[in-house]
Amino acid sequence: MKKSDILFMCIQNLKRRRARTFLTVLGVVIGCCSIVIMVSIGIGMKESQEKMLAQMGDLTIVTVMPQQGGTGSVKLDDKAVEDFKQIQNTVAVTPKTSLDDYSIRLYAGENNRYVCDWSTVAGLDTTAFDNLGYDLISGKAIKDNDNEVIAGQYLAYDFEDTMRPDGMNMIERYGNYDENGKELPLPDPYFDIMNTKLTMEIDNGSDKFTIPLKVEGQVKEDYSKGYETSEGLIMGLGDIKKIIERAQNGSVSKKGYNSVIVKVNDISNVSQVEDEIKAMGFSTDSMESIRKPMEKEAHQKQMMLGGLGAISLFVAALGITNTMIMSISERIKEIGIMKSLGCFVNDIRIIFLTEAGIIGFMGGIVGCVVSLLISLIINMVSLGAFSLSNIVLAVRGGEDVSRVSVIPLWLLAFSVVFSILIGLCSGYYPANRAVKISALEAIKNEQ
Amino acid sequence: MGDRKSKSNIAIEVRGLRKVYPVGDEKVVALKKINLKVTRGEVCCIFGTSGSGKSTLLNQLAGMEKPTKGQVIVDGVNISRLSENKLAAFRQKHIGFVFQSYNLLASLTAVENVALPLMFRGVEKKKREILARKMLKRVGLANRFDHFPSQMSGGQQQRAGIARAFVTHPDIVFADEPTGNLDSKTTVEVMRMIMDFSKKYHQTIILVTHDPQMASYADRIVTLLDGEIISDEKRETFTKENQ
Repeated sequence: MKKSDILFMCIQNLKRRRARTFLTVLGVVIGCCSIVIMVSIGIGMKESQEKMLAQMGDLTIVTVMPQQGGTGSVKLDDKAVEDFKQIQNTVAVTPKTSLDDYSIRLYAGENNRYVCDWSTVAGLDTTAFDNLGYDLISGKAIKDNDNEVIAGQYLAYDFEDTMRPDGMNMIERYGNYDENGKELPLPDPYFDIMNTKLTMEIDNGSDKFTIPLKVEGQVKEDYSKGYETSEGLIMGLGDIKKIIERAQNGSVSKKGYNSVIVKVNDISNVSQVEDEIKAMGFSTDSMESIRKPMEKEAHQKQMMLGGLGAISLFVAALGITNTMIMSISERIKEIGIMKSLGCFVNDIRIIFLTEAGIIGFMGGIVGCVVSLLISLIINMVSLGAFSLSNIVLAVRGGEDVSRVSVIPLWLLAFSVVFSILIGLCSGYYPANRAVKISALEAIKNEQ
Repeated sequence: MGDRKSKSNIAIEVRGLRKVYPVGDEKVVALKKINLKVTRGEVCCIFGTSGSGKSTLLNQLAGMEKPTKGQVIVDGVNISRLSENKLAAFRQKHIGFVFQSYNLLASLTAVENVALPLMFRGVEKKKREILARKMLKRVGLANRFDHFPSQMSGGQQQRAGIARAFVTHPDIVFADEPTGNLDSKTTVEVMRMIMDFSKKYHQTIILVTHDPQMASYADRIVTLLDGEIISDEKRETFTKENQ
């Protein structure tokens, strides 16, 4: 028989018993839906976790530090930096030096009206700046001379106004709520750090000296890159070395760098890079240590939810088998007739398998459509109001929107294929029963 | 082996056929020892009361059951040795069926029903439906092409059944009480139709019936009783005896 004819026969049979076909398909729809929705919630969970982590910082940054307490351990110097650059999958490497050994005081504004007593200053390789993925909010990148600096996003809030009385001389960054408990937008700082004169005073314990700074840009806060991106300053490595030299009264430090920042090209390669650096005798730190267990947990939950969904699809499979067996016992005579008219045994088997497969397929397709609708509704509810813009957010997601249920394309494809397979498997036994029916049944006259 | 002439002349040959059915602990002998030769183009009636073994014999001739002993050779092929697949292919090529209860598939139209054996052979839809329409016209159902069996009378259904049996131009057509469910007027119609087709295309017809009236349409009447052939005569002698 031709494939088109087999399909025709199947559709005839399914159409003839519409109610039963409908109910069986419905079983598959429910099974398919429960799998898709359950897995989609798992994926949604993972997505919002990753978004949360990404907000905390760049997931592909590895911070390298010298081994703690190790005597005679490897030095974190320029040679080590060169070694890190040779590691596969690294995009950029920069040493990071700070002025944490000295007291730093920052002055800003006319007559040094604003004072910041505590800050951190980091020196970075300015040539690696672009590749490291620093996110500039305003201004431009710096060159490693003339004491050009980039300010952290919230540095300006750390300044005290010397013209105001104690206790009222700072702008609070946190705890600004209106009477309904809703968080208010951040108030402006006292001054615009981009357009204000900034001076740094360094105190090495015995001596003090000041250095005028040029603020060229402002960077977005990123925990993984360091505290300086939120409430500190970034400057060129050469500049900061000069300052240290001056603070130490001309003696060049033989100590290695405090830390080195390594940018990896992809999340999946972070652990590989970390392992290689650790093998060189350094200790490392990255978001990976948080991300890995979270990912594992999300994965486990996803499997659990998917398993629950699979149970209902399994029940649906029993439904298909039942329907097919019923259908065969009704069609014993018909199968006998077909055999006596010369229908090949294999064609009969294929007809029944195809029927079961079609039930699975239809259930899968409808199940996907229904799942998409349910997922949309879940997301709409979690977003709050039913509005057109919320529909778009619920379907596509967005930067700061965490969806409860996320259905990627592969999940749809997988569930349709899986439903078809379930159909075929549950049709296997009935099909073999149909094949065994004798042509003699055509001649029997039971009326 | 053997002479080719007799091989091509003999449509069906039965040698020492025996069929035993186990019923509980006992064995029921349905066919004792049947030897039979049917010539090509012959209309042969297997006549007998119910329980005589005539239906069992038909099943054996059409290859629906395996014999306990003996051979059934149809068109030179020992069909009792064929696998199920080869049997299906053999049926497609050589055999047509007319059933007592018409056995049209309820979900298919008249044209689709008649085209069914062609569909099993893998004939293209267009081609097979042209052939099916031609056949239906010849049995006088030109205005019933797209009717379902439930929309046709018994006589019409049986005519569609005949069209289906002859659409592949088989060498042999088995007709099992083809008029058992029909009134006397349609019986005559249907029987004439079967005889016409058989004469025109030189086809062998095996007619199974318990009705002497029906048997008188055949060229040759083989009478069975308790699983044995008790007489094998030409129509003329048979009708004389039964009058």
